[in-house]
Amino acid sequence: MQPTVEVSFAALQARSLRSQDGKLVKLDGTHEFEATRERVYQSLVNAEVLQRCIPGCERLERTGENTFSATIRTSVGSIKGVFDGNVRLEDLREPEHFRIVVEGKGAPGFLKGSGDLDLEQDGAITRVKYAGDVQVGGTIASVGQRMIQGTAKMMATQFFTCLGAAAKPEAGEPPP
Amino acid sequence: MPTSYVGQRVRRTEDPRLIKGLAHYVDDIALPGTLHVAFVRSYYAHAKINSIDTSAALDVPGVVAVYTGKDVAKIGPVPCAGALPGLKVPDHRVLATDKVYFVGHPVAAVVATDRYAARDAVDLIVVDYEDLPVVTDVEQAAAGTGPVIHESFGDNIAYKMTAGEGDIDAAFAAAERTVKQRIWHKRLAPIAMEPRGVLARYFPGEEELTLWSSTQIPHLMRTQVALMIGIPENKLRVITPEVGGGFGSKLNVYAEEALLGWISMQLHKPVKWIETRRENIQATIHGRGQVGDIEVAFKNDGTLTGLRYNVIADLGAYHQLLTPAIPTLTGLMLSGAYRIPAIQINITGVFTNKMATDAYRGAGRPEATYVVERALDLVAADLNADPAEVRRKNFPGKDEFPFHTATGLDYDSGDYEAALDKAQQIAGYTQLREEQKKARAEGKIMGIGVSTYVEICALGPSTAMPAGGWESATVRIEPTGKVTVLTGTSPHGQGQETSFAQIVADELGVSINDVTVIHGDTSVVQYGIGTFGSRATAVGGTAVYVAVQKLKEKAEKIAAHILKADASKVSFEGGKYSVTKAAGATAATGSSEPVYPVGQGPAGALPEPQTEGRTGLTIAEIALAAHLAKELPPDTEPGLSATYFFEPKNFTFPFGTHIAVVEIDRETGDIKFLRYVAVDDCGRVINPMLVDGQVHGGIVQSIGQAMYEEVVYDEQGQLITGTLMDYAVPRAKHVPNFELDRTETPSPVNPLGVKGVGEAGTIGATPAIVGAIVDALAPFGVKHLDMPIKPEDVWRIINNDSSRI
Repeated sequence: MQPTVEVSFAALQARSLRSQDGKLVKLDGTHEFEATRERVYQSLVNAEVLQRCIPGCERLERTGENTFSATIRTSVGSIKGVFDGNVRLEDLREPEHFRIVVEGKGAPGFLKGSGDLDLEQDGAITRVKYAGDVQVGGTIASVGQRMIQGTAKMMATQFFTCLGAAAKPEAGEPPP
Repeated sequence: MPTSYVGQRVRRTEDPRLIKGLAHYVDDIALPGTLHVAFVRSYYAHAKINSIDTSAALDVPGVVAVYTGKDVAKIGPVPCAGALPGLKVPDHRVLATDKVYFVGHPVAAVVATDRYAARDAVDLIVVDYEDLPVVTDVEQAAAGTGPVIHESFGDNIAYKMTAGEGDIDAAFAAAERTVKQRIWHKRLAPIAMEPRGVLARYFPGEEELTLWSSTQIPHLMRTQVALMIGIPENKLRVITPEVGGGFGSKLNVYAEEALLGWISMQLHKPVKWIETRRENIQATIHGRGQVGDIEVAFKNDGTLTGLRYNVIADLGAYHQLLTPAIPTLTGLMLSGAYRIPAIQINITGVFTNKMATDAYRGAGRPEATYVVERALDLVAADLNADPAEVRRKNFPGKDEFPFHTATGLDYDSGDYEAALDKAQQIAGYTQLREEQKKARAEGKIMGIGVSTYVEICALGPSTAMPAGGWESATVRIEPTGKVTVLTGTSPHGQGQETSFAQIVADELGVSINDVTVIHGDTSVVQYGIGTFGSRATAVGGTAVYVAVQKLKEKAEKIAAHILKADASKVSFEGGKYSVTKAAGATAATGSSEPVYPVGQGPAGALPEPQTEGRTGLTIAEIALAAHLAKELPPDTEPGLSATYFFEPKNFTFPFGTHIAVVEIDRETGDIKFLRYVAVDDCGRVINPMLVDGQVHGGIVQSIGQAMYEEVVYDEQGQLITGTLMDYAVPRAKHVPNFELDRTETPSPVNPLGVKGVGEAGTIGATPAIVGAIVDALAPFGVKHLDMPIKPEDVWRIINNDSSRI
């Protein structure tokens, strides 16, 4: 009998996803910006910037002081779909911390997530630490689960890279 | 033509059409104007439905209709046949109404002119769900705490049941030794090669509905679907064309089957639904799903004195046809192949937000065999004894049958020691143990597992079955001498078109090519029960056999009349009725050659039989005479056919010994089979090739359960093994060569002496495989591992890494 690498891998993934206290995907990381903490914070809570930087975001409208409604087109592996949902910002302590809560539903299933973002100023650099988890259901969970972690990580990187550009001071602006 | 077909490796007459791609499965049946159905299924495990907006779907070109729960309220509930005392039975509608209870729960059905339009429209239906707390933990459900799935029941306990004989408390109180082990049987997906499928066609003029369905039980389905959708049963025809495997998953009546029939009656068009593989894993029943504590009391010399199994059965959100009954089969088989004076099972069946569990190849018996065999290994380990010898010590002797068990059964016949001896001899057991010592000394990780199973087959006496346990057969000889057999069983891979023809051809002295076995059409075949529970040959084959005997009684009377002899003087031998020698002097003399060779009569007309002056008549000649009806004895009905409904007086109890030998790669934890020996005793064998095939398939599915397969729901009830990328079914490369042999202990329960073998592999093999892996890892202190045992688990044990296990 040959080693069963692909089989074991699938089973291993299922187990690692399962063992995380009911949350399918944990997401954490650090991203650095060449901008002041205030500026990064403002970008992070700016609807226009968020719409531009959230991958696949087709619509983001403010519905309240700290709430937005959004439409996001996304794909996990072969599963593509449109999610309609809400984004809520909580626990705002400008410029060092806020919490983001996302809920979306669409044909491929649903997603629910929340995360804490902490901003630290280190000289000319602002470091954003993020930690959260995402729960998905439906086709994405049953078909795309092996890709979720990678996709989520990729989307986070895209988001922060875009945000970094947005937070960078324009030419002629005062240095951060 | 061999003198006897029974016992020969006759090639399957089914195979040419299958191999050439000429067989017809449900999806191969194309009726003009067929509409296609696709389902909206819940992606929540538990949620309230606030509203369903179907408007966008109805705008899709090609979409004809969309039905939701409230549209189909008149369709009766999906049936559950398990009638246990105090059983809670939720109202299982064909489409969800106010709540969804599991991922995959059908919420709406879209009907369109093609499959693609239907599927696209599914995505446009907006269901406003309000998610509810999810129940996935069976122990919490069994404790009666946590959120409640079916609110009116108050908790998630569907039933509790205790069974067994003997004084179990006394057995444990007086025990010299005991072992106890918690054992998981993970949920498995049956994964028939052909998923489910239904084609329904209503004929409004005749007011008749035909359902083509990939099922194991066409007649039971006809009865149940007729009741569900309110069509007279004699206006409903169920046809099972070729069925690409069932393994119990098609021993059921599903919501989709009734719904498709109903939709065709609404729209007056043929409608078809073919299950996708994703739907198959979500919404076709799962197997197993038990967790329990097995406890054994025994003496210092290894004699078993008591066995107790406290088990929680994960039933899922709803009962399908036999859901609650499956764990009771576990209880029946807890005596295994052993003399155990006191046995008790305590079952708690619980609702969870998952698909229903039900019969999957073995259906409750693999669980029993597995816990008993694991317990015997633990007893052997506790006594530092050889596991084979502990088993041998507790076997009833071959002269002790019928053997009464403390689970209330009477085993029909057996010689357990003979099967163990034979398997040990083939495996070279003593030498293997020596090799193991040597291998261990060299740092290799090698293990030997032994399983001596007994199983319950030929389901079964009607008193023990929810819908009758008999089976029917009609044997008919057509005017041209061709033999037609109608069986109430519904073969779907087992090969009974061949094996039943073997039985009939032998009994009638005709070529097997002249026998056609017809099954799976309720308009053609008299009522039958179907194919499951390793019953088709032992019950259905017996019905065929007895029907032939009845037919031959009539043929003999006609032969005696034509031969002008007393019936007592006529005998059947070598395919001919002839007057016995003692009476020969009084019989007319003449040619004994047939007047015309069968099949070569004059074209366009039946030949006139020339029976004058004959001493012998073939069955074909008698059939012609019976149909022409010019020369029949007085008061004899024309035609030559007989029907028999066989009611078995007991189950049958096949048994055997499986021995697995594995070696584990220290670097990777990979488990490699060195040997796999199986000696099975399924009574008298009609076709050894078919038996081998059944054993092969069963062992492969056991390898799947032991090493790869597990349906995984996360804590939110999301199915995360939703495709064959994630649900690991073994492939050819995962399977060793099997060394198969048999002992043959006929069953006294039926005149054929057959027992059944359809599930032996899934019952006998898992404990041998797990036993071998555990034995290999014994030097690392391992006494038990739960299935599926993956290289990852094994590697961590070898490397003493307990993280994430």
